[in-house]
Amino acid sequence: MVSMNTVLFISFALFSIGVLGVLIRRNALIILMCVELMLNAANINLIAFARHSGTVAGQAFALLVMGLAAAEVAIGLALVVALYRKKDTVQVDDINLLKG
Amino acid sequence: MDQFLSYINQFFSYIGQHLFLIFGLLAVISAAFLVFAKNAVHSVLTFLAAMICIAACYLTLQSEFLAVAQLLIYAGGIVVLFLFVVMLVELSKFKENRLFQKQTPYAVVIVMAGVGGFMWMFRRLIFDSSASIPLTLSPELSEGLNVANQNAQSVSRGLFTGYLLPFETMSVILLIALIGAIVLAKQSRA
Repeated sequence: MVSMNTVLFISFALFSIGVLGVLIRRNALIILMCVELMLNAANINLIAFARHSGTVAGQAFALLVMGLAAAEVAIGLALVVALYRKKDTVQVDDINLLKG
Repeated sequence: MDQFLSYINQFFSYIGQHLFLIFGLLAVISAAFLVFAKNAVHSVLTFLAAMICIAACYLTLQSEFLAVAQLLIYAGGIVVLFLFVVMLVELSKFKENRLFQKQTPYAVVIVMAGVGGFMWMFRRLIFDSSASIPLTLSPELSEGLNVANQNAQSVSRGLFTGYLLPFETMSVILLIALIGAIVLAKQSRA
């Protein structure tokens, strides 16, 4: 039997690790992976509440979020590749063109 | 011998009751390895492990269709894309090999403060045992939809009746992402 608190705890832990990764890592690829992790944590919550309420709305939204995540990864990786070609780096703190 | 077998039986039934917790903790552990791994390829592999564990979590929450979709999209598509880009980008030639940013201590403090604030806000929900609601389907709701038995059918029925507009919008967004990725990754001829 899965209790609601377990689900909320696990998804909260995953989301916090994702936020931490986005904030502390320099590599743009790992930042993208951490964003995916956060989206998945939200998905777990959506599915758990869908099961709790007995409706399929949460599962439908989770499916839409998955499609959105795929689109985001495609764009993000294309940006990383374009950045690597232009500036020869994928470390986010080397990209400081707008720094005053 | 019988005693031993009954112990094994009890052990497996205990595990079966806590499958969500086991796979969730595995996902959290592999996510932590993702963030703190030195090698980017190891990060991608632990990302794959986390995605598979999350798919198993979906299965224990009785959404089989989404579990399979998660495996196909993440383990099949996104991880391969990440691996391609990690191998395309030569990470070892950068002059600075720091893994973490300069603001790391502040970021850790802020995230810890956020976690603590969440715990404090929901302390009654978390630590009061009477508040832990078991995740069961209410029978009068599940009868019409039959979510547990025909998961793909009920999800698609919901998607194509109530949420048709978001679904179609998603197709346009995917098309835009496709074109955008091609334009961004194309060699400029200048």
